[in-house]
Amino acid sequence: MASIKATVAVLTLLSACLLITNASGHHGCCRSYMTARIPFLKIKGYSVQTITETCHIHAIIFHTKKGKACMNPALNWVMQYIHRLGNKAQMVHNKTSKTQQ
Amino acid sequence: MNYSEDNTSNQWDEDYDMDYELIGPCFHQKNTSVELVVGPYVHSIICILGFVGNGLVIVTYAFYKRTKSMTDVYLLNVAVADLLFVASLPLIVYNELSSWSMGPVACKLLRGSYSVNLYGGMLLLACISADRYVAIVQARRSFGRRSLPYSRLICTAVWSAALLLSVPTFCFYNWYEPSHSREAFMYGEEETNRTSGPPHYVCEFQFADNATAWRTKVAVPSTQLAVGFFLPLLVMVVCYSAVVATLLRAKSFQRHKAVRVVLAVVVVFVVCHLPYNLTLLYETADMFQLRTCEESDILQTAKTVTQTVAYLHCCLNPVLYAFVGVKFRNHFKRIVLDLCCLGKKYIAPRRFSRVTSEIYVSTRRSVDGSSENGSSFTM
Repeated sequence: MASIKATVAVLTLLSACLLITNASGHHGCCRSYMTARIPFLKIKGYSVQTITETCHIHAIIFHTKKGKACMNPALNWVMQYIHRLGNKAQMVHNKTSKTQQ
Repeated sequence: MNYSEDNTSNQWDEDYDMDYELIGPCFHQKNTSVELVVGPYVHSIICILGFVGNGLVIVTYAFYKRTKSMTDVYLLNVAVADLLFVASLPLIVYNELSSWSMGPVACKLLRGSYSVNLYGGMLLLACISADRYVAIVQARRSFGRRSLPYSRLICTAVWSAALLLSVPTFCFYNWYEPSHSREAFMYGEEETNRTSGPPHYVCEFQFADNATAWRTKVAVPSTQLAVGFFLPLLVMVVCYSAVVATLLRAKSFQRHKAVRVVLAVVVVFVVCHLPYNLTLLYETADMFQLRTCEESDILQTAKTVTQTVAYLHCCLNPVLYAFVGVKFRNHFKRIVLDLCCLGKKYIAPRRFSRVTSEIYVSTRRSVDGSSENGSSFTM
């Protein structure tokens, strides 16, 4: 009797799984790097992937209009892009803080 | 490069047409579609079979068979490990599919108990093979070494080892939103530092620094491979080949049946666990290597499929270990008979009122009591 009750409980739980599956989206990891260079103006932002979490390689992910691009952080130009993005942000910050004062 | 190059590269940017191929994060479409089928459907079958099989073993031991021998203690412990595993399986599947909606405590507990039960179950199977080796090959010297207190001691040692081996899992599995999908440093029109969409939580490894990450990500699956598969396999192969050799030399009536059972145990173990562990070995061996999304997807899919095959083993254990035993089957038959009596009693209480079994009488009273109170219990 107990096993029948348990079976019913399991079935109910698993059918609940089916209903929720639509809500699941996946975080993806970079598994290799792009070799081509992306034009700087196409880049809207970036995020950093490290091996300290679920992913197994370090990577810089550039966000472009077309989508995300995995970049090798060992490449100099990749880091220079990030500095340039930082400078751009600093400039925007300076301008807005001046106008607000 | 310095900033004098900026003008030229900006020029290049504007002229550049968008005909480059982006290589983005991998999303494992193939694996996701396999998971959607395997997750709910196949796992529910495994779950039900596992619940019924291992539940019956535990019920038989609890009510009808006092644990007398060393083997009984092991079989009961294996059934408990398998049952706990089967109980956590639907919760893990549910959480994997719903971005770990049950939160951080469930994450630690489910991952931890998965690991404890995996190690516990596998090491106990090795103990069973060693026990059979001592009983059959070393029959003369087995006195005292197969006593009940001794086997309880070994089981305690096995569960302690399983807990100890699971400490890294307890420590390093965390519930979080992966930072590379959470934090984005955006500039330009939308100045937001959060990517759109609902938060997607995972229950995965998380480390404070790269060195720990590097070491633990290899050490945990390696330990699982070594202690959770290759060690039990080695013990089983050594013990059971000696057992088979002894059985074949003996002129026993039932030796062929015994040999078949031993072979079935080993073959099922290998068939269930070898594919998954080979996949895990391959994955661990070049975990930090670059690979295309296609390759990564195939590897993940292989892992999902072979893992399901490995899960199947916990449904087969009751059949392979408990129900092949004649004594155990006799005890089980008594349960079935008693349950039949109980069922008949529930269905037609008046017709079988003269059967005099203890259980029967006691349930009869309780049914009568409830029918007097409820007055609707008439079938």
